[in-house]
This record gives sequence, C-alpha cells and structure tokens, in this order.
Amino acid sequence: MSHHLFLLSPSDTPIYSLTHYSTKLPQPTSSSLSSNLPTWSTSAFAGTLTALSGASSATQSHHVQGGSVRMGGGQDRHVIQMIANASLDVIEDAMRKESAMYLKSVDKFNEWTVSAFITPGNMKFILLHETKNDDGIRSFFHDVWELYLKTMLNPFHTAHSPIRSVVFDTRVRASAKKYL
Amino acid sequence: MNTHAFAALAHIPILVLPVGPIPRTVFEKYAAEIRTFDSIRLGDIPTGMKDERARFMPNPLSSGYLYLSYPSHPAPPRHMSLSLFRPSHFTLGIIGVAACSSSYSLTSALEQFDKTVLDISPEGSTFPLAKVCFAFEDEESAGSTGLGDTLPGIVSIPSVMGNKKLYIGTLLADLCSHILAELGRVYHVLESPIGNEYLNSALFPTLPSPSEMPLSLSSGNLGYPSYSSQPELDSSGLTTPGIQIKRSSTAGPGISHTASLIQRQSTLGSPAVRKRVSAVGAVSSHGRLYKVLGDFFLLAGRTEDASLWYAEAIVLFKTGQDPVWHASVLEGMATVFVLDAWSAGQGLQSSVSNNSIKEPWADIYEQLSQAIALYHKASVPSDLSQDHSLLALTYCTAVMRQTSLLFCTWSTKGWGALAFASMLQPGSTSYTQRTTSDSSWTNLERISIVSGVSRSQIANTVSQAHGPWLLHLGPHERLTILQSMASIYSSLGYRRKEAFILREVISCIMDLIVCGRGENDLLRKSDVGSASTDNRSENGDEVSIVGKGAVGVRQNEILEGNQSILKLLVRACKVLGVDLEAVGVAKTTDGTSSEVGGRDNGGSAVEDLERPVDAAKESFGWPELQVGVIREAIAVAEALPDPLAVARISLSALRTMHSVLASSDQYHLYQTAGRALAAMRRRGDAPAVEYWAGHPIMSIALLPLALHRMPIENPFSILTAKSSATNSLLSGITDPFLYNPRKTSGSQSKNLIVQGEPIELTITLRNPYVFDLEIQSISLSTTGVEFESSPVSALVIPPNTLYPITIIGTAKTQGTLVFRGCIVQAHWGAPREFLLPVSTDVDQNLFARRQSAVKCESGRTKYWGLDSRPWEKDERRLSTPLPSLKKPPQFLQCIVVPEQPLLRIRWTSLTHGAVMLYNGEESTIRLTLENISALPIDFLRLSFEDSTIGPAQEALSEGGLSVFETYETEYDLLHRKAFSWRNEKEITNILPNQKVVLSVTCVGKVGCAHGTVHIAYSQVNREHEEQVPTPEVFYTRQLSYPVTVTVYHMLECHDLRLMPMVDVNYDDIGSRACNSVIHLLPEVDDPTEWCLFAIDVRNTYGLPFEVTFEREQAGTQNAAVSSTVPPGSMSCIMLPVKKFRLADDQISQPIPTLSDRQFVVGKSKLSIEEEQAQRELFWYREELLKIVSARWKETNGDRNGYLSLRQQRLTLPMLKALRTDMVQVDLTLIVDTPDSSPQELDYSGGKYIASPNEMLYLRVEVANSSLSPLAMTLDLIFDPAEQVLWEGVLSNMAMGKLKPDETKTVEVPLCFLCTGRFEIGAEVRIMGAMKNSRAGASRICISVREDG
Repeated sequence: MSHHLFLLSPSDTPIYSLTHYSTKLPQPTSSSLSSNLPTWSTSAFAGTLTALSGASSATQSHHVQGGSVRMGGGQDRHVIQMIANASLDVIEDAMRKESAMYLKSVDKFNEWTVSAFITPGNMKFILLHETKNDDGIRSFFHDVWELYLKTMLNPFHTAHSPIRSVVFDTRVRASAKKYL
Repeated sequence: MNTHAFAALAHIPILVLPVGPIPRTVFEKYAAEIRTFDSIRLGDIPTGMKDERARFMPNPLSSGYLYLSYPSHPAPPRHMSLSLFRPSHFTLGIIGVAACSSSYSLTSALEQFDKTVLDISPEGSTFPLAKVCFAFEDEESAGSTGLGDTLPGIVSIPSVMGNKKLYIGTLLADLCSHILAELGRVYHVLESPIGNEYLNSALFPTLPSPSEMPLSLSSGNLGYPSYSSQPELDSSGLTTPGIQIKRSSTAGPGISHTASLIQRQSTLGSPAVRKRVSAVGAVSSHGRLYKVLGDFFLLAGRTEDASLWYAEAIVLFKTGQDPVWHASVLEGMATVFVLDAWSAGQGLQSSVSNNSIKEPWADIYEQLSQAIALYHKASVPSDLSQDHSLLALTYCTAVMRQTSLLFCTWSTKGWGALAFASMLQPGSTSYTQRTTSDSSWTNLERISIVSGVSRSQIANTVSQAHGPWLLHLGPHERLTILQSMASIYSSLGYRRKEAFILREVISCIMDLIVCGRGENDLLRKSDVGSASTDNRSENGDEVSIVGKGAVGVRQNEILEGNQSILKLLVRACKVLGVDLEAVGVAKTTDGTSSEVGGRDNGGSAVEDLERPVDAAKESFGWPELQVGVIREAIAVAEALPDPLAVARISLSALRTMHSVLASSDQYHLYQTAGRALAAMRRRGDAPAVEYWAGHPIMSIALLPLALHRMPIENPFSILTAKSSATNSLLSGITDPFLYNPRKTSGSQSKNLIVQGEPIELTITLRNPYVFDLEIQSISLSTTGVEFESSPVSALVIPPNTLYPITIIGTAKTQGTLVFRGCIVQAHWGAPREFLLPVSTDVDQNLFARRQSAVKCESGRTKYWGLDSRPWEKDERRLSTPLPSLKKPPQFLQCIVVPEQPLLRIRWTSLTHGAVMLYNGEESTIRLTLENISALPIDFLRLSFEDSTIGPAQEALSEGGLSVFETYETEYDLLHRKAFSWRNEKEITNILPNQKVVLSVTCVGKVGCAHGTVHIAYSQVNREHEEQVPTPEVFYTRQLSYPVTVTVYHMLECHDLRLMPMVDVNYDDIGSRACNSVIHLLPEVDDPTEWCLFAIDVRNTYGLPFEVTFEREQAGTQNAAVSSTVPPGSMSCIMLPVKKFRLADDQISQPIPTLSDRQFVVGKSKLSIEEEQAQRELFWYREELLKIVSARWKETNGDRNGYLSLRQQRLTLPMLKALRTDMVQVDLTLIVDTPDSSPQELDYSGGKYIASPNEMLYLRVEVANSSLSPLAMTLDLIFDPAEQVLWEGVLSNMAMGKLKPDETKTVEVPLCFLCTGRFEIGAEVRIMGAMKNSRAGASRICISVREDG
C-alpha cells in the first residue's frame, strides 16, 4: 500500500513530493468489473488510456498476489501526478467554501482517495491514499505542516522554490512511517 | 450527451437513415424535421391491434407520452446480448429518408432501403421492430415521380403537401404503434415457459435465433392452451426469417382499432399473467420476465403499469440471486419516478414544492446508488469477455444516469420542470449550456446553492464511472462515456479533471486512428458512417468522429477531424499550463516578403518587449506533467500526421518552457520540429511557423564612425560671429548652475551619419537554449530614409551565449533614419520583426520599477490555481498596479546628413607626430592637407587642444582659487596657448584633389604633454540645393592631428626681490651679480628714484643657457642684462628699475577676470584694507611685468624663447621699494663752515662722514608729490638717540598743508656726541590718517669719526 504526498505551491508547482510505501496490507478491493481486463490494443496510445484509467495498477495487483508489497515503479508516477493535479479542482472548490485546513477524503479517483491540507499561505499538501486512516493522516499533515513552517522560516526560501532540504525529507519520511 | 439521457430507458430509439442518392443537406433537413418530434402523445397512437400485439398499446384518452430519441447509429452487434436486458439500447424503429425524383423511383428507393436495413441489423437480431421509408419528393420534379403508387413500406410525401410536419407526426405515430405491437409480440414469446427459460439462461440472455425457436415455441404453446387471450396469434409469423420485412410491410394506415380489448387486457393482464406464471413457472423465477414487462411498459409510456411490474420484479429479486437484473429494475423505477414527476409537474412551471426535508431527488439518487453498487458487486459467472464488457457498459451507463440526475438538477437550478425536461430530452433544451456558459466560480457556486446540488457531489458521482473497467468497453462506448465525463467536468468548472479525461479521450481516438490504418482495407466497404457523422458538441469543440462502433477511418483527408483532435489537445494542455499554440502559424506563406510579416505583427513585437519583465515571474504548473503532456502531444500530432502541428507544439514548448526542460528534451524537441518542418517543405506546402525562439535581439548599436568621418553639427551663426570663439576655452566649462537639467538631455546627442557612406551596426543576439540555434537570416528593419543593407544569413548561435554580429549598410538619401529593430527568420520560419527601443533614463527607471513590482509580487499569491497561469495572470491586476509604459517606444535614430567632403593629412613636418621644445620655445608645425572627395571645401577652421587646458579648466571650475590665482590661470589659458594658427594665407577653399599647407605655431609650455590640432572643414555653400527653409545648421567634419609634445623645463626663476637703491650695498653687487649689471648702475642718478630688480635664475637642465632680462620703461633708456647660466647653477640677475607710482583710480580697480564668469559669492573674507593692498600688489606687479621681460637663448645653438616671470609674486616690502612715495622726504646734513655759507656734509659710500661734537643741521625737505594737497606731520628718529643732542621736538612736527609739488623745509640743529655709526630717519604722516601709515620716509646713515 502506498501513499503519495505532494506539496503544491499556489501556482500548482510541486515543491516537494514523497512516495511512501506502508507495510500495512492493502485490503482487497477488487471488483469483478476491473478484473479480467482485455489487452485491447497494442498501439502506444492505448498505453496512455490503460495507465490513466488505472487499469495498469489493477492488472498488476492481480499478478502480485496479495501478500507482497508493491514496490516502486508499479504505479505510473505520471498518473499519480495527474490525479493529484486533477484533485486540485475539488480542493480549490472546497477551500473556497470551507475554512478548514484539513480536507478529509476530499476527492476520489480511480482507486485513490485524496486528502488535502491547506496552509494559510495557500500551500496545498495533497495525499493520495487507498485506505481510510483519518487520524493518522491528520497527524501526518500537522507534522508536515510544522516541518514546512520551519523550512519557510528560512529567509532565503521563497514560497515557490522546491524544498531540497535533507532534514525536511528525513523528518517527513519519519512522520509518514509513524502515522501512515 | 444524448446517449446518456437520464430517461433513456423510456426512449424509443429511432434510426433515421438516408436512402438512395440523397444530398447530405437535403437529408439533414428532412431528418431534422423528423427529429423535432421528441415525444408523441399516447392518444395519437393508432391502436388497431387485436392480438397479443395490443398488450402495450396505450389506453385511449390516456394522457402520457411516448418519448422518442434519434440515435445516430444502431447499437453495435456486440451488444446483441443486451437485447432483452435493455431494449431501449437498440433502435426499435428505422426511418429511411429518400429523395425521389424522376430518375429515382419509389421502388428502387424501397429496394435500397431494405438492403440497408439488412446491412445494419445483425443476424438474428430481435430489433428493429418496425421500419418505414419516407420518400420526399423533389420540388422540381413534383408530380412526375409517380408518387401516387402506394408501395407497402414506403410513404411518399409530395412536395406540394402543405403541412408536412403534421403528416410526419402522424406517420411517426403509426410507426410507434407498430413498434408497440411488436413489443407485444416479443413479450408474448418470452412469457412462454420456454421463453422464460431462455430469459434466465444467462446473465445477458438472448432469444435464440429464430430457426431454433419454432419447435420449442410451439411446444410451449401446447403447454398453455388457455393462456393467450389472442387466439389468432400466428406463432409461425415469428419464425419466418423475413419477419421484419413482413412486419413492416403490414405497417400502414388502415388498421382497425379495438381499444376496449386492450384496455381490458391492461387492467386485467397483470394479475392474470402473474397467476398463471406463478402456477406454471416452477423452473425459474419470473423476476426477469416482470422486469422485461416493466421495461416494455416504460417504453410504451405506461408508467403505472411499469412501476407495478417493477415492484413485482423487485420482490422476486430480493433474494439477491440476480444482482444485475435487480439493479436494472432499480434504474427503471428511478426513470418511472422522474416520468411521473414530469407529467405531474408539467403543467405548472413552478418547481415541485419541497416540503420534505430531504431533497426530492434523494430517493432516486439512493435507488441509483443501490443499482450502481449492485452492478459493481456483481460477479460475472463466465469468463466471457462479452459479459464483462456489457456489465461494464451497464455499470457506466448507470453511473452516467445517476450523474445525469444530479447534473440536470444542478444545471437547471433545482428540481423542477426544467430539470425533468432536460432529463427527458437533453437535446431539446439549451438551458444547460446557457447556465453553465459563464464558468466563473461565483456563477457555478450560485447554481449549486440555488439547486441544492454541490458540484463536488456531481464530480464524485461521475468519477465512479472512471476505472479500469473502461478497458472492457468497446471503443465507441468508451469514447462516449469519457466524452460525457469530460463534458460534465467542464460544465462543473473542474478544468483539471476535464483535462485528465480529455487525455484519455484523445488517446482513445488516436488508438483508433492508428489501429484503423492497419485495418483500413478490410473495413473500407463498411464505411457507412459518412451519413451518420455525429458531431458531438462539447463546449464548441468538435470531437473527431470515428465511425460507428468499429473503426471507421476516413479515406479522404478532411482536416477538420485532425484539427479537432489538436483543439482537444490544446485545451487539455492549457489546463496544465502548457500553451501549445504559443507559436502561431505565419500568415504569409511567402517566406521572403519580410515587409508584410514585419508590419503585421508589430503589435506583438511590442508586447515582446515586456517579456523580460515576465521572466521574473514564477512559473506555473507541474513541470513533470507538462513535459509528459508535451511528449504526448507530439506523439499525437506525429501520428495524425500533422507536421505543422508537430512543429508548432515542439517549438511552443521550447519557447515557453525551456527553463524547465531538460537539455536532452530541448535537443529532441528542436530536432523534431526541424524534421517536421523539413517534411512539410518536402511535400511542397510551406506554411511557415512564426519565429519562436523568444526575443533574440539583445541590443542594437550603431558603431561610431571613424573620427575623421564623423560629421559635427554646427549652427550657422558661428560663421558670422568670429570673436566668440576666443572665449570658448573659458566659458565652456563655466556652468553657473549646480544642476542643469538641459545638460543631460543635450548630452544624448543625435547620431549623425553621412549620406552614401557605409555605417556599421552591431546586433547582439542571444540563444537561451542548449542547442545551436540556426537563424536563416537577420535583416534590419528601418523607417525613414532609404537604407540599403545586406541581410546576414545562415547564422548559427552557439548554445547559451550572446552572439554579436555586424551589419553594414548605407543610407541613400538625407533625412531621418530610424532603426526599429531586426527582422529575424528562423529556419523554415516566417520572418518576424523585433522592435528594439532605445531606453531613455525615464524608461529605464520605469522598467526597473516594473521589475521590482513584479519581484515584490512573486512571493505572494493573489491569484492561485488556474488563475495563476501566465496568460490568465497577465490580464489581471497585481496587488499594486504596474507603472505602464505608455510612451511610444523610442528607437535608435540617426540623422542622415548630406554628402560631405573628406580631407586627409598628406604630410606633416613632424616625425612620429612628436615635437620637443624647451619651455617657452616656439616652433612651427606644417600640415599638408588634401581634399580626397569630389566636393569642394569652403570652410576651414582650426582649433587646438592640449593637455594643460584640462587641468586648468578644472581648477577654474572648482572655484577654489583666489582671485589672483584665477587671473593667473585664465591669463595662462588665453594668452599663452600651446598651439595657435595665424591664417596668414587666408586659406578657405580647397578644391577636390587640391593640397594646402597649414602652419601651426607651437609654444613650449611646461606641463603640456600632448596636444591635438582639430581641423574642421565643410562645404557650406551648396548652390545647387535650394532649400526653402534655410537650414539652421551645417555639418562639418573634423580632422584631428595629435601631437606629442615634450617640453623641457630648464630655467627656473625664483626669489624675486626689489630693493630700494638706497640700501644697496654696492660692494656686494660685484660679487653676487655675475652679469653685466655693473655697467648699468651708473645710470642710476638718484638712488631714491630707483630700485633694484633682482631674481635668481637656476638652470636645471644639462645645457648652459644665456638669459637676458630687458627693461622697457618710459622715461628711461631700454636696458638689458644678460647672463649665462651654466647647467645646475643659479645666477642672480639684477636690473635697476625706476620707481613709479600708479594712479589711485587704477589701483583701486578690482582684479579683472578675463572670462565672463559670474561670481555668485565672493569667497574672500578679506577686510577692505587687505583687499586694497591686494589690488595694489596686483596692479604694480602687472606694471612691473610689462616693464621687465626675459628671454633665453641656447649658449651654443640658436634656439631661444621667452622666460615667464608670471610665477613671481610681489610682496609688500617689494611694493614699497618699487613705488615712489606720496611725499618725498629729503634729508640733508649741513654743516656751518666758518668761512662761508653752510654746506652739505661729505657724502660718500652712501653715508655722511661727520665729526663728533660738531654742530650740524639736519635739513628735512618735504615735497608733496601727490596730486592733492596734504596736511602732514613729521617725525624724526635718531639712532642711537642718547649720543645725539638736538634742539626742539622731534615728533609730530606740524608741516602744515602742502599743495601739490610744494616743498617745505625744516631744519633741526644737532650734534653727535661720540664717534660711531648713526642713523637718522624721517617719517611723514598724513594728518588724520592712521598711526602707522606713513606717507613718506627717508633715512640717512652717518659715520661719525674723529677727523674723518
């Protein structure tokens, strides 16, 4: 089971991203609809559709039987990013209407649930997850927020520059390990 | 979106087909006419059926409707299995539209129609149930086509018929009646036990092919002898293969109605059937049968019956055996609910009162959610991919139905009549487009609040349809689903999600196109999609059409399809912040006509000027995604293939995103674009792309002309006023104002270039990319006078560099020439003009302010999300308004002056341009000039410059000098110029190819290291050019000849002394003065009248010099002393100078200034007396320097020159020595001799010789030598006074008033008491003057000796 975290600046540019593979087992959520998928075309464009519709990960989860953890590369990173980007629509909508910073399961797409956290500076933390883990995600977001604030205290760091701090990365990973 | 209408389950789909040779427009017209009937009142349906076919016929006078839909194509054969599960998915009726004329008869039309119907309806299909062909008569061939013949299956509509519409309506009602009848027949088959078995045989059962049916059906018939209330059922009718044709052949007017029978059946039918079925149906449940019955009733518009049977079915499905059918029943019930609500609320336009707390649609929503969940959970028993596909389709359709419920409610602002209308007939209302056309957030949110449906709810609902199961679907269904999703997202304002889906849409289409090419040949024959091209409107974008279900690729290259795909691509990419159309297509295909291209996009070129500012803004978007979509876009464009699009996309990416692109990507894009453009060129069409590589021109600069060619502007007035030039040395630097605003504006001088002479321009180009940027050509863009230059072609700018190039050109006529910028053309690109304004200080300032404003903005976010995309942002306000660049840009401007003559220096008398001089020496430089142009020169003027001028001017302008020093400096500048020219020969005209010789005098001046001779010349009088306004200026050229000057400083004068002659110790002179002063001494008759001028001259050079000092003084003979000063030694020069006195009015004048400088504040803090003294010193010194002049001469050589004495200063004692006193005091010692009259004591060697104890008289003669009468007192001083006896008082002896030139004598007797040296002094004071100011004084020395 994996989690994908993105920190997006107000201009939709990611300034940090993290893929976290949790040791928890994913619950089998297979629908017969998504089983037994045909390989319907061999052209390059079919690949795009296969990937974007989430079929590639679905078929893969079929091949790798339950127990083992899916390791990197299994999911198309591009698709994950597309989903995160697309979820901004709903997030922006929600943040205009609500003042809550933590938007729990604000969007769902393919097999992914999207939770978001919006800082007062209009920074958006987006987490793609597959299972419900409300408390954990909330704590994780608060941790990331604190870490982010500490990074932003650096006067040389602007809101739009990518965070390359190793310390930030390590701590976010630690927090992910703890909560997710 | 009509394929996903909410109430699609209640729609009777009717396919409208063209038959025979019918023009497309005609067909479209008739088809549109037919399609206007989207519903038919039940009351209009002819109900003439008697048998089981009457089961679904409407009750007479019932108020419901039949709903018709007109799909563009029949369901694909693969969906056959759904035929019982979802009859509304299939085209139940077919209408052929034929245009009959004299050449095309009804018979042939019918034949053709039957053939087409056979073609499109798959083998063994239950549907279509009814068909009819409408033959419309041509207007011109009216009456000649034999329309009178009535053929079964074809209805002819004569052109003369007035109300066609009404007639068509009737015909449609007829058709519907047939359809309903046929539904009844189908149901009749199903309700037999064997039919029921078939119905329960599989997940998606089908009726077996008719060939298998008869036996079982007949046996089934045997099982139910009493079943049918229609004994005349001809069961074999179903079995015949030609059933459809037969059915339709019976269609037509003239069917009798037996309504009472049907009514009876409908009211009694259900319990009867139920009872019977439950009695007989031991084999399998009748849930499916009831469901089918409900479906059919729904189609027939009898909603009460439908809901009744659905309820029955639900009860049976409760056990959960058959989730798919269960879900389908739920869907049907939801549809029934809406239909009921529609018919209930149709009359009143107000929305149904929402008296309950729950939203009225919540129940339907719940039902549909349940259905979706059931579909989702349903397992497919078989491994048949067919079933997977169909299940996925039903699932997606259910999701779309649920979405449609929400979306229609939302878009029509709430649950009401409009919502029902759009759910029933989505095509009939354009309301949805209207409400959602304003896609601002406020509007969308307002709709949400009004309607009570939140957008995220809709989005969440529709996103359920998206998943891996999309792969199960057939290409067409997948496309439809995706496209509907995209359209909904778009209407919701969820642009990113829309982009996500659009990418899938594009890849679907592209996949079909790519695969289709391979199968092209196989499918060519079935290319029927041409008539049924459905243009699905999706926010104005035309989705490219892929024919029906299968792969239909157009044979002809219709560009619209490709363009539509590209439009989709652009739309999707824009959301991600990638502008694929940043590089436009050039309007002119002719690549060489740079003029047009340049003028056209002048505006955009100006916009480009602000680009550098924008570079400071932060970028938008997700770089990884952006690179991804660009790659994909290029792949799409390459696959189409559309080389122009490939080039545009890759170049746009390079242009807008080169900062985030990796270098390999940049290379790749550049090569791709190059390849595409080359391919295009190979094919012969050359629609060039616009120039894309940013703003390539960094700067454009006019290289200054060579100095001797540069024209200089002069006003004509200098020709007349000649004297003013002399003061230019001093006045040029004296600006009385600390800040002079005109000075800066004037300093930006105009660029002058000469007509017909080549000039050079340097253009700095920039390549921000990592590859070698090839530029096909660069030429200058100019306005004003004609300018001829050769464009630079085939440039390669190395990566990441600035690259200067030089362009040479010539102005053809005189006037003003403006360099607007450059016209740059990339390879295969269109030329594009880039303006390059010259920024003034104001502009720079403004620019800097803009930049800082943008920078200030960059940390903050006023606009976020999609609003912060660059092109959106540019139109919006920043938090502080940017200072706007309102002024029209200023360009590099040149004034082209008329042709000018050209001189050159042919020969000079100097070697290496160097001259060596002693200080004060004068030498002559000869310059030979030659006119090498074809124009005569009639104006020649020389000016000079040397290295001493600058420092002196600086010192003057600083103003720290005292008045005296200022005078000295100015005198030096004006009267002792290092270079001068006396135009002795009056040279003014130099004809072409003539030579003249100029002599320039050069004077050695210490500190002068180099100098320049400027020769300004011009042709002033041009007779042949008659200009009406006489030009105020003329142009000169200037030839400069630099001279290196070495001046040896060899003689130094210092220590000027002026001594009264009286004090001179004559003995000393002989030893000290090593010159011929001795012989001058005798001429000093009266020592009080003279003073001695002495100065030390030191030779610091290695050669001996002879120094001569001359005196030219009025009243005396001229005299000269000379002395040879050996190297390293010093001589004292002495020269007697007669004392003089200047008039009072002369010395009271202030020290003059030679320039016309203004003195704002007198800096001197001197008192009046001090100032008086200073002036006196000044004027006496001036007089002295006039009297005494000095020259030097080489001892062994003939070089000579002047020796300047101006460094010498006069001090107050010297002044006293030089000036004759106001009052002459003469002291004489007189001794009384016994014999005769008193006589003067012996005087020798400057002293009197006296004896002690001898009575003497001191005679004091006081003479007033001034011009006014003076009252004086006299003081006498004896020294030492103790040894002198005298009579009377010595101090303050009143002398009385003496007139001018009057003399008064006072005698004082005295006696020296001892031997020794005495001194007697006399001082005359003016009465009333200050104590210590004496007007005259004298002194004598007395040597008292015993018997001297």
